[in-house]
Amino acid sequence: MKINELNKKKIPLVKINKELNKYKGKVLFEKKLQNANKLLERAKLPRELSVDRG
Amino acid sequence: MKYIKYEYTADDELHFYEFKSIGIKGEIKKVVEYSKMNIEGYYNLAFGDFDEEKNEINDKIVTNNGDSLKVLATVASTVYAFTGKYPKAKIFATGSTEVRTRLYRMGITNNLVEIQEDFDVYGMKSDDTFEEFIAGEDYIGFLITRKKK
Repeated sequence: MKINELNKKKIPLVKINKELNKYKGKVLFEKKLQNANKLLERAKLPRELSVDRG
Repeated sequence: MKYIKYEYTADDELHFYEFKSIGIKGEIKKVVEYSKMNIEGYYNLAFGDFDEEKNEINDKIVTNNGDSLKVLATVASTVYAFTGKYPKAKIFATGSTEVRTRLYRMGITNNLVEIQEDFDVYGMKSDDTFEEFIAGEDYIGFLITRKKK
């Protein structure tokens, strides 16, 4: 498949790079994750996505 | 997506993606990450530059490589890849700065019609409530889920 055709596809074909497995279990954007967790902690989630937060 | 995108690679669980932005400042390695959040089923989407000299990620730098639409289209494509593997995942994204958050908003707005064919998109307002994404509105975060088909 040519790159132009690939670019038109919505569902991408993902090339696996085993080297990226080195990130497994790590959080690369830690501050961003903390900030996101804080935001959602106080957020009123959309009713259809609401979860029991215990 | 209507914009062309970069080719990227991913780890075998599709939580991490890498690609190279090629523009006026040369080649810059970009990393996209989906991290589990404190709420079950929610993942935080984050991306930034990989500083090859310091061997660390920088999500605050404004690269100005002249290819932001292509970068956003590439990141959007990883959403398709990630939710292809984890269809029930709820993806939350917020910028590290207001400028970044506006950039995300622009990326969603530019592709809204197409995105909404497959995803429900919500914007988080400053009063901590969510609403269905409206182009032109200010949001502090975004929530994206695959439509149930």
